[in-house]
Amino acid sequence: MNLKPVKDALVIAELKSIPDLKRNPSMVLLVGVISSFPLFYILVFGGNLGYGLVGAMVATISFIGLVASIQDISFDRYVKIREMIVAMPVHPVSYAIGVALGPLLISAPGLIFFMGLTVLLGALPILSVGWAVASLILCWAAGSSIGFIISTYLRNASVYTLGNMSNILGLGLVFMPPVYYPEELLGGMRWLSLIFPTSNAAGLIRYYAGTMSLTLDAVVVRWLILVATVVASIVIVSFKARWRET
Amino acid sequence: MNMEAVKAEGLSKTYRGKEPVEALKGVALSINKGELFTLLGLNGAGKTTFLKILSTQLSPTKGNARVMGYDVMAQAGEVKKHIAIVPQDVQTYSNFTPWEYCYYFSLLRGMSKRETEDASEKALKAVELWDLRNRTCVGLSGGEKKRAIIATVLASHADVLLLDEPTSGLDAVARRKVWAVLRDLVEQGTTILLTTHIMEEAEMLSDRLAIIDRGNVVAEGTLEEIKSLAKEKFRVIVEGNLHGLDLETNSHTKLGNKQIVYVADEDRALELVGTALKKGLRAEAARITLEDVFVKLVGRGEEA
Repeated sequence: MNLKPVKDALVIAELKSIPDLKRNPSMVLLVGVISSFPLFYILVFGGNLGYGLVGAMVATISFIGLVASIQDISFDRYVKIREMIVAMPVHPVSYAIGVALGPLLISAPGLIFFMGLTVLLGALPILSVGWAVASLILCWAAGSSIGFIISTYLRNASVYTLGNMSNILGLGLVFMPPVYYPEELLGGMRWLSLIFPTSNAAGLIRYYAGTMSLTLDAVVVRWLILVATVVASIVIVSFKARWRET
Repeated sequence: MNMEAVKAEGLSKTYRGKEPVEALKGVALSINKGELFTLLGLNGAGKTTFLKILSTQLSPTKGNARVMGYDVMAQAGEVKKHIAIVPQDVQTYSNFTPWEYCYYFSLLRGMSKRETEDASEKALKAVELWDLRNRTCVGLSGGEKKRAIIATVLASHADVLLLDEPTSGLDAVARRKVWAVLRDLVEQGTTILLTTHIMEEAEMLSDRLAIIDRGNVVAEGTLEEIKSLAKEKFRVIVEGNLHGLDLETNSHTKLGNKQIVYVADEDRALELVGTALKKGLRAEAARITLEDVFVKLVGRGEEA
C-alpha cells in the first residue's frame, strides 16, 4: 500500500506548523485567547459558561481552517513553497490536507484545553466527547474548504483583500448563534443556523451536551448539512482549482 | 541512449485574457544531460513560462516538452521525480532554518529520514551553510538565503535543476559562491537550466545558451557560436569629445560622453583607438562580450 500521500500530508502539516511553533510558541496562547474573548464577555455580562466553551472550540477550529487555506495562497506569493512543491512528486490532495492540518496542530493545545474544561465543568458528558470531536472535525473541514474556495476563485485578489475577506468571514461564522449564544436568539431566523457549518456543529455539540433539544430528525438533518457543506465546498473547489495552471 | 535531458518541440503558450499574450511561439530547444544551459532574454521574453512548463506548473497551448524522456503533460508524475526548481523571486520563509528547508523538501521527495539527513548535510556543506544550518532565515544575509534555497534543490538529488534567476540580488562574492556550486553539480552529471539577466554569469557558467525574444529563440549555441552571430567582433570604448572621429559607418551606443563603437576586426579597432588617442581622448579596445551580442539581437534599436 502506497502511504506516500499520507506521509506527504503530514510532512506539509509539520512544515506549516512546527517551525512557527518552535520560534513563536506564544501563537498557541494567542489562538486560544482570541477564541476565548467571548468567554470574558459571558463571564462579565452573564450567560452560560458551558455555552461559551463550546463556542470557543467551534470558533477556534473554524477560524483556523478558514484562515489557513486563504493565507496559504497569499503568503505563498512571496515564499513560493507551493510553487516548489507543485514541481515535486506530491499529490495536490496531500498538499491541501497538509495546509489545513498545519494550523490545526497550532490550535490543538487550545482545543484540548477548552474540551477538557467543558467536560470538567460538566457542560459536556464524557460519553459525548466522540460526537463533539466528529462535529468539530467536519466544522474544520468545512472551514478549510470554504477557505480554499475563496483563495481559488479570488486567486488574483490582493493579499489585503484576501486577508480582510478571511477575517470578516471568520468572524461572521463564529458569531452566528448557537456558537456562543442560544439559537433562540435568532427568533424567526433560526433557519440561518442550519446554513453555517459553525452554527451547525455548535448545535450538534449542544445537543449531545444536553443543553439544546432537537428531534432525532433535526439531528440527522444537521449532520447531513454539515457533511454536504464539506462535500459541496470540495466539489466547487475542484471545478476551478488546478495544480497545474492553464 | 537518450542524451537529451530536456527537449521542447514547437512549444507555444498564450495567456488568455482580455488581451491574450503570446509568451512562447513554437520554441524548440534541446538540453543535453550533464550540461549547464542558460536561457537569456529581456523581462517578459518567455523564460519563466518555459521553465514553468518544464516543471509541470503550466500547460502549453501547443507543442510538447520532455524531461528525461518523460512528457511534461502526459507523464508529469515521472517528470517531477527528476526535477527540482528555484522559482523566480523566491523569498525564504523567515521562520525556517536552512536545515528545515533541506529536510522537509527532501522528505517530500520520498527519501527516508536517514537519506534526508545525509542529503541535507551534504547540500548545506556544499553551499557553506552547515555552520548556519540552525539559524532562522530572518537572520541570514541575502546571499545565505539564496544558498539555503539552492541547498534545498541540491539535497533533492534531482537530475535536472530548473533555476529561475537564482543569483538575482546577490553581491559579486555571494554570486561566485553559487556559481562554484552549480559548476560542481554539472561536473557530477546534473543538468541545469538557468535563466539570468547577468551576462557575466551566462558567460562564466554556460556550456550552451539560448537567447529568447518575444517568445522566439533567436540564437542558440555555445558562447563562441552566439558571439559569432555578430558581424562586429570588437568594440572600442571612446571617452571624450568625439567630433572628428569617423563613427558614422560603425554601429555604436552612446552613453553620455562615452561611446561603445563596434567594429568588424581587430585592425579597425586598433586604428580607431589610435585616432582617438591622437585627439587626446581615452579609448580602449576589446573583443565583444555576450552582452554586446545580446543587445544587438534583442535591443530593439538601443544601439545606433
